[in-house]
Amino acid sequence: MLDALVVANQTSEAELVEIVHADAGATRAAIERLTDLALVWESPGGLRALSAVADALRGDESAGVSGLRPMSPDPAPDIDARLAAISLRARALLDHVLVSGGEGTTGTARRTVSPADAATPVEELIARRLLVPRDGGVLVLPGEVGIALRGGHTTTTPRDEVPPLATTRREQSLVDRTAGGAAFDAVRRTELLLDHWGLQPPSMLRGGGLGVRDLKAAAAELQVTVPEAGLIIEVATAAGLLTSATDPEGNEVWLPTDSFDTWAAGSTAERWVALALAWLDTTRLPSLIGTRDPAGKSWNALAPDLSSTMAPDARSLALAQLVGLDEGSVLATGTGVPSIVERVAWLRPRRPSVHRDLVAAAVHEAGLLGLVGAGGLSQAGRAIVAHDHDAALVAITPHLPHPVDHVLLQADLTAVAPGPLETELARTLHLLADVESRGGATVYRFTNGSVRRAFDAGWSALEVHDFIGSVSRTPIPQPLTYLVDDVARTFGTIRVGQAESFLRADDESALTELMHHPKATSLGLRRIAPTVVISTMPIDVLLPRLRELGTAPVVEAPDGSVRVARRDLLRARRPRTSRTRGAAQARAQATVASVVTAIRSGDRAEASRPASPAIATTPSSALVALREAIEGGETVVIGYVDNHGASSDRVIEPLRLEGGQLSAHDHRSDDERLFAVHRITTVTPLASPRT
Amino acid sequence: MNDGPLIVQSDKTLLLEIDHPLASDARKAIAPFAELERSPEHIHTYRLTPLGLWNARAAGHDAEQVVDALLTFSRYAVPHALLVDIAETMGRYGRLRLEKHPTHGLVLSSTDRPVLEEVLRAKKIAGMLGNRVDDDTVLVHASERGNLKQALLKLGWPAEDFAGYVDGEAHPISLVEDGWAIRKYQQEAVESFWHGGSGVVVLPCGAGKTIVGAAAMAEAKATTLILVTNTVSARQWKDELIKRTSLTADEIGEYSGSVKEVRPVTIATYQVLTTRRKGVYTHLELLDARDWGLIVYDEVHLLPAPIFRMTANLQARRRIGLTATLVREDGREGEVFSLIGPKRYDAPWKDIEAQGWIAPADCVEVRVTLPEGQRIAYATAEPEERYRLASCTHAKIDVVRRLVEQHQGQPTLVIGQYIDQIDELAELLDAPVIKGETPVKERQRLFEAFRSGELSLLVVSKVANFSIDLPSAEVAIQVSGSFGSRQEEAQRLGRLLRPKAEGKTAHFYTVVSRDTVDADFAQNRQRFLAEQGYAYRIIDAADLDVAP
Repeated sequence: MLDALVVANQTSEAELVEIVHADAGATRAAIERLTDLALVWESPGGLRALSAVADALRGDESAGVSGLRPMSPDPAPDIDARLAAISLRARALLDHVLVSGGEGTTGTARRTVSPADAATPVEELIARRLLVPRDGGVLVLPGEVGIALRGGHTTTTPRDEVPPLATTRREQSLVDRTAGGAAFDAVRRTELLLDHWGLQPPSMLRGGGLGVRDLKAAAAELQVTVPEAGLIIEVATAAGLLTSATDPEGNEVWLPTDSFDTWAAGSTAERWVALALAWLDTTRLPSLIGTRDPAGKSWNALAPDLSSTMAPDARSLALAQLVGLDEGSVLATGTGVPSIVERVAWLRPRRPSVHRDLVAAAVHEAGLLGLVGAGGLSQAGRAIVAHDHDAALVAITPHLPHPVDHVLLQADLTAVAPGPLETELARTLHLLADVESRGGATVYRFTNGSVRRAFDAGWSALEVHDFIGSVSRTPIPQPLTYLVDDVARTFGTIRVGQAESFLRADDESALTELMHHPKATSLGLRRIAPTVVISTMPIDVLLPRLRELGTAPVVEAPDGSVRVARRDLLRARRPRTSRTRGAAQARAQATVASVVTAIRSGDRAEASRPASPAIATTPSSALVALREAIEGGETVVIGYVDNHGASSDRVIEPLRLEGGQLSAHDHRSDDERLFAVHRITTVTPLASPRT
Repeated sequence: MNDGPLIVQSDKTLLLEIDHPLASDARKAIAPFAELERSPEHIHTYRLTPLGLWNARAAGHDAEQVVDALLTFSRYAVPHALLVDIAETMGRYGRLRLEKHPTHGLVLSSTDRPVLEEVLRAKKIAGMLGNRVDDDTVLVHASERGNLKQALLKLGWPAEDFAGYVDGEAHPISLVEDGWAIRKYQQEAVESFWHGGSGVVVLPCGAGKTIVGAAAMAEAKATTLILVTNTVSARQWKDELIKRTSLTADEIGEYSGSVKEVRPVTIATYQVLTTRRKGVYTHLELLDARDWGLIVYDEVHLLPAPIFRMTANLQARRRIGLTATLVREDGREGEVFSLIGPKRYDAPWKDIEAQGWIAPADCVEVRVTLPEGQRIAYATAEPEERYRLASCTHAKIDVVRRLVEQHQGQPTLVIGQYIDQIDELAELLDAPVIKGETPVKERQRLFEAFRSGELSLLVVSKVANFSIDLPSAEVAIQVSGSFGSRQEEAQRLGRLLRPKAEGKTAHFYTVVSRDTVDADFAQNRQRFLAEQGYAYRIIDAADLDVAP
């Protein structure tokens, strides 16, 4: 409607009715509404859109309203004739321009041609003024041509028909039940994940957010897909159950908040309402986790920028469509979601295309969270959409499974809890058995390892039998009894303890005597076998004390051999004497010689330096000069910057140039040295011949 | 909340509470699409797999029926994602169709062009296809029909095969029901196989799979190739066919290592087909020797990999696979599906047992303690030696002797893995032995004697695991096995399950050394039996005399 006005620029109501592809009455009503909203005004020449409106509409290229261009100021009346006159190829091109946004580029086409000598379809169109060249080589399809191409309207499809929702019939009770199941799952998974993260928190990425690996691990832990895990994490955060904090070691991690404990203590219904309301209003975009941002980087869960004010809007719009459905009709499988996307796109045509994705995601997420079941909004979901906390509580409660207090034991060593277990019972079973399958019911499997885990936690075989007997509705299968007893039999066969030292004696009475010695109490002795006693004291302390007690112990080396305690005789090393006279003299001479060499080579460098300061040669010319010097066997002076940035002149005979390094004979050190080529600032051939 | 017997788990398992009044209705509703995974006493576990769902599609069920069955019987809400997944998975089946084109021969066509484009771009498939006929149709090399189906299954777009079967050379075969009648479930199995064209029938050991094969042949009335595991079972097939059908001994040929006859009905062993000389399968021509109208695969779960490849070329012929379990230790169930056909019929052991067609069994694990000296030897042995040491302990021999005494007069089989162990046992028990090196003639003589009751105790090695019909065996004692293979356990138990006179219970003993790998493997077997619904008792060797 507004589009049409912009296209027409200034027009009468009658003309608008004609070009808008819709029922006349609807168009008039729309004009009235727009006038009331002051987006359109009645100028003396007819209806006009506010110029700001036109700018706003045209400015957004991603809006998806294609090919709408203002009409030429004085539209020529013979568009149809001109359209009829063009060649097929030109017509195809024109259609393409229309579909792809009403703009094209001239390319090599000439701007001013007559229809007769147009060589290409583009030139033909320009010649007939069906495309108008603009600045910068852009070709524009004038509005009136667009209208003519669309059969006299601004859009090809009618605009006054509300896109229908694809629906099918399902009983409301089924919808409620399915939604209830999903709601229960969402609550259970949130609790499971946060419980887990309370013990092993995932670390926070430097840019905020949760690493992909942690997200995948969470998905595996919860037995859900990665996007679903992302949703659970985001909703938990939105509900204030999860936040970033610093752990005792000073790392930034994601941790459940203290309000998680409050939340976990609530009833399932209360917990669900809290999650659902948090989801409805959050600006976070869980559906984008794992997709790429414009820069091509993948979005992480909980990334700080992963939010948009469009999200709650898209959600409430999508759910509002579902509220509008009659009781008993739900979105059809497959076609339902696209139809709701179409409907919302019709209601809000100027939203960017990402809005459509958000609408689809909203319906999907609502299904996962239990607002929507089997494609229809549940009673509780309706209450949530209306932000009615209490009504939602009442509505969801009957659809949540009741906790059970027993399991069914089977001969294949599994225990099946035919429903959600009471929390305490679930924790205990979790210790005794491994979870094999989760869902409405839980399947536990008893294994050697799981039973041993219980023993490690301090259970006795009797307690295990009693517990299993008390929770089972069915007789305990014999193999399970055997399993527990087998583990109990081997449990603790080998014991591990700590001792600083041990004492052993083949003579048991010697040890007995020692144990009963009145002064031995301070030695921390404990007898672990008739011939072995351990002590909490290290050997070097124990040994003298034992001797004091009148025993004659022998020390064993770690490999069991007897260590003979002979005292080491202590000796020091002979100190180094000062150097001899001759050596000192030789050193002094060498120093003098090297100083002289350095001075001479400095002199030669000085001598060869041109009167004017050396012009810093370019790296390439330096290389050329060096190569020449190598070939000619010449001596050159180079300006060289050392590691510390100090510049000096060196007299050298270049030998080889390879790998960015120059090996050369350095006159100062009288040795072959390597120079980094990039540090050589100047190269000056030494005028005097080699000495 | 709905008070149904079924709980649908998010990991796609279905738990069926069998004490629930609606349990049997629920079972009937879910059996077509869910695979029974385990059936212990209270809760049976079924699993939804893409294969199972495609099987159901192939058998004419649609996603709506599956979803409806789940929703009707589920106690808790069914996860929405699971329902969507079911619809999606089932929707993948049949997007591609293998058809006979009147002018182009075998073609692959699709109603969904993007799917066709997707599979055409798959490298593995490229070589099997010819030119595009039009946008939705592409030529298929006739010889690649099986390979193509297999490859498409791997890509997740199983093709529906509409190309039909060749009738083969007609040959009159009919069942001769004198003194016996085909059982209801056998008839159902044959019918669902015939309607489906090709496929696998899963029935417990002893439930009369041979009869199903014979009935299928009577339905086809054409020359038939029967592939079996070994020569003894080939002879048994022959005897059974002569007894149950109008076929005479002259019409049935045996194609094995010793005899090479090609007759209207030919029974060949897997082994002879897979024999290679200089890298060439020398007996492959058998497959083309006649215009076979039906191919019967006995014990499909043992089908060797080369046979898979040969089968790929036999797609134009009707194929029936017979097996007690689709569990393959090599995990190639998918290939059975694509090359022989989907599962057409199955019935849980317990159901057939309840109908009285197979004998009930009492499974007992007898635990012996290794003598002190052997414990030390065991503890210090190399890991690969341990199992042998543990399972061949002398302590077991004494237990076996006592068990045999307890069941004096009842036909008893002693089954072992290690030849020297069974030789020793045979000597001690004074019983004949059947092992790999026993000539076929001798084997048959001994089996015959055992069947007729002349012989009440037989010591056998693992050669007796499969397809040897010893209907009279009432007691089996296994002393060692191949590392706890579930399939072996099923087969050995199967030896016992042929129905007994007066509805007697069969006894299945496993002698296990305590605290060794032997016991660990036994746990695998125990789990398998428990999952099949057999209560498993454990007793100590010391308590043996007290126990019934």
